[in-house]
Amino acid sequence: MPDTAASLPEPVGEARGTDRLGLLGRLRHVEPVALVWLLLIVALLFLVVAPLAKLFAVSFETQGTGEFTLSNYVTAYGRARYVDALVNSLTLGLASAALSVALAVPMAWAVSRTDMPGKGLTWGVVMGAFVMPPYLGAVGWMLLAGPNSGAANRFWRWATGAEGPLFNIFSFEGLALVIALHSFPLVFIFVKAALDLISSEMEDAANILGAGTWTAMRKVSLPLVWPAILGAFVVVFLETIALFGTPALIGIPARINVVTTQLWQFFEYPVRVEVAAAYAMPLLLITVGMIVAQKLLLARKGFVSQTGKGGERRPIKLGPWRWLLFAWCALVGLLSVVMPLGILVQASFAKAWGRGISLDNFTLRNYQHLIFEHEMALTSIWNTIWFSASAATMAVLIALLVAYIVQRRLVPFGDALGFLAMAPFVIPGIVMAIGFYAAYASPPLALYGTAAIIIFAFTARFLPIAYANSAAAVRTVHPEMEEAARILGSGRLHAIVHVTAPLLKKALLGGWLIVFIVATRELSAAIFLVGPRTRTMSVLLYDLSEAGNFEVLAAFGGLLLLITLVLVGIGMKLVGRDFMLRRN
Amino acid sequence: MPQVSRRGVLGTGLGATVASFAIIRRGAAENLPQHERELYEAAKREGEITWYSGQYSAEGSEAVGRGFMERYPGVRCNVVRSTSQVAFQRLSQDARARVAQCDVFSSTNTGHFTMLKREGRLLQFRPRNADGLLEAIRVADPDNYYQTSFLGLFLLGHNVQKVKEADAPKSWTDVLDPKWKDQVAVGHPGFSGAIGVWAVQMRKMYGWDYFKRLERNRPQIGRSSQDPVTLLNAGERSIGICVPAGTMLLSMSRGNPLRLIYPTEGTLATIAPSAIPSNAPHPNAAKLFMEYQTGPEMSQVIRRLFGEPLRPDVPAAEGSLPLDQVKLIAPSQDEQEKGVPEVRELWRDTFGI
Repeated sequence: MPDTAASLPEPVGEARGTDRLGLLGRLRHVEPVALVWLLLIVALLFLVVAPLAKLFAVSFETQGTGEFTLSNYVTAYGRARYVDALVNSLTLGLASAALSVALAVPMAWAVSRTDMPGKGLTWGVVMGAFVMPPYLGAVGWMLLAGPNSGAANRFWRWATGAEGPLFNIFSFEGLALVIALHSFPLVFIFVKAALDLISSEMEDAANILGAGTWTAMRKVSLPLVWPAILGAFVVVFLETIALFGTPALIGIPARINVVTTQLWQFFEYPVRVEVAAAYAMPLLLITVGMIVAQKLLLARKGFVSQTGKGGERRPIKLGPWRWLLFAWCALVGLLSVVMPLGILVQASFAKAWGRGISLDNFTLRNYQHLIFEHEMALTSIWNTIWFSASAATMAVLIALLVAYIVQRRLVPFGDALGFLAMAPFVIPGIVMAIGFYAAYASPPLALYGTAAIIIFAFTARFLPIAYANSAAAVRTVHPEMEEAARILGSGRLHAIVHVTAPLLKKALLGGWLIVFIVATRELSAAIFLVGPRTRTMSVLLYDLSEAGNFEVLAAFGGLLLLITLVLVGIGMKLVGRDFMLRRN
Repeated sequence: MPQVSRRGVLGTGLGATVASFAIIRRGAAENLPQHERELYEAAKREGEITWYSGQYSAEGSEAVGRGFMERYPGVRCNVVRSTSQVAFQRLSQDARARVAQCDVFSSTNTGHFTMLKREGRLLQFRPRNADGLLEAIRVADPDNYYQTSFLGLFLLGHNVQKVKEADAPKSWTDVLDPKWKDQVAVGHPGFSGAIGVWAVQMRKMYGWDYFKRLERNRPQIGRSSQDPVTLLNAGERSIGICVPAGTMLLSMSRGNPLRLIYPTEGTLATIAPSAIPSNAPHPNAAKLFMEYQTGPEMSQVIRRLFGEPLRPDVPAAEGSLPLDQVKLIAPSQDEQEKGVPEVRELWRDTFGI
């Protein structure tokens, strides 16, 4: 039975204090959890509700006077070019999500259900693609697949004697592919986790009734993980329409304007936050619509794959086909990690990257420039680390408390807290940043240009990741362990600190690291909030990319990746090597 | 045996470091002219300046900032380099949030300054060193709200391995020839200040039709005016339009197969100023920085990176034509203020981005 604040047995230690009357005495009877609950409400109001409410209000305000108007919406949607940008974003989101599913589902199936060789390698590929910031991959692909100078296209011409390029990165397909190559790990993680739960008996049943491996996969395994595929599709779609760096790098030469680059234009002089807010509103409706559509598609169907009877899970023997699957995984690895990373490393050590690999083209000057001469490079690295660490700590702390309160049903309307913690999930990062700018940049708070506003924005943006992680973790701890402590006289907070938290340590650390790593590569939430002293690595990379100096840019990317790899290494050491991609 | 504590060693070391810094500081300060020394003393109390720079390359701006810190130890220079429109966007965002962060603002679009001056958002200050600037650029604003700090030549360039010198375009209109389809590259007026100024100039000379015809050649559009130089180096495109001479020369000095083309109609001269916002948090350090920009030291620094010196007492960079041998064209300050926002919109309609 779930216990509530009202029905809690009074802690034994309190009985002796009843002789002290008055307010103080009565306050001692208030569970500290009530205070925590209040604090959480305030935190979530501050982080999630206020910026969004402000954004909504501002979209109806006249600039300067603040009078009610609808003209912002007219301006925002009054030009074909602005509407085109919205359509481009939606098409791009769908294309990238579909491509990600196509890339990742065979990989997930192969790793989870079959005897494909090289599973460890596939894990490496997924991990590599996940930790590489998407805009860095975009730079790599610009060097690889520029129609005339791209290394891959030059190789293609040399090998085939063809006139035209094999692939032009500066195109819609190029943009969608680059995004998918860095989003597919999300699909992989979701689908693999779901496939792991299906016992072989279901496939065996299909086999007995005459279905081959292919049919069983198509008709039994995949339909059972349909919710996971759909969920991952939605996540990739939302991530794609929120991306800023990749569209700015590839979209401008490709002449593709999207929502995020259009929002950026509304921040040109004169800064039109009102129009930007109005422009963002339909985007919010669309993302909410996606979630609703997902719920409707899954409604009234059963996807139960876990039953009370223990099922056996055995890898399917594929025979020679396993090499085909392996080739697919290797190809994805080549495209998403090996090739872009290789060319970036080459460029970072090159005097001029177009001249290729040779001794007289080798230099350490790019790294030397960044480490010893560049005024902001090291500061931005430090900024990135401590902003991300602070945001990860706040997010995990808030998420853990909310998850605990919701799971244990400690307060009425606890579910509302959970809803608020998950809400940023549907808000594109750049929209959230504009909300923060509108709500907190100006006096009285005047947070613009401070570290605090970036840390708060990162906390809010990644709260859903932390919450999903914490909720799952809290669910694994049965209340009876805390109850034991409480029967022995411990207060609720004491029990949490000494019983529950230690049990969750590993899971929480894993969640912390995931938030930390995604925060270190976040660009879109930071781009409108940084000041001269608070630029992060991703923002500095964006500034460097403006001038097109790819050698220095690649070297800075190299530093960023090195730092991320060290952190991932630490994470693997502390939490286990699968911490980012939860295996079972 | 006397015990040596770690703190003791650290303290002594720290003391020695502070002492040696003090010596360096005194050494530098003694060589300064009187007006700079007074500002320097006040600037040291402020400790730092933040410079929003759209002028010079990223590498050049960093070098300028380092040069300042070497000349005036104890005053830190935070270089925030971006394209000029983005720098102005940051300044506008600051203003909108009513937060003062910028001490010196530099842009390649003079229109930014005429607008800021009219809105009363600039500090009136004439650096003493400005009297030693080249005569033509000595007075940017008769009321001294902004001061010349950048002289850039923007022209055509080509990759000599892809296009022979004899075949290369010679004028701004030559690049409209259909034979250059898919071979030209240019920056974007929504980002680069110089490209905005150039677009105003081309519209003035040839009407907007120039850009409609340019679009038929499908130029690759980047952001900064320097973007095409990278594309030329790599051989991705063969002809760069409105590229900065300094960046080209620097790239050539590093062995890239490039060549400058001074267009027959005239080379675009972007004479652009810097100014101190009236709410600058470090006004004395900002004034000192303006003295540095107009004095010989900054011209020396940028000359080494093939930028145009601003003073007659600093010789031009190697490989660039002396200014008196180049025919220069440029729109007026008013034309820039009014024209750049217009061409930016027209550009987005014509090129779709």
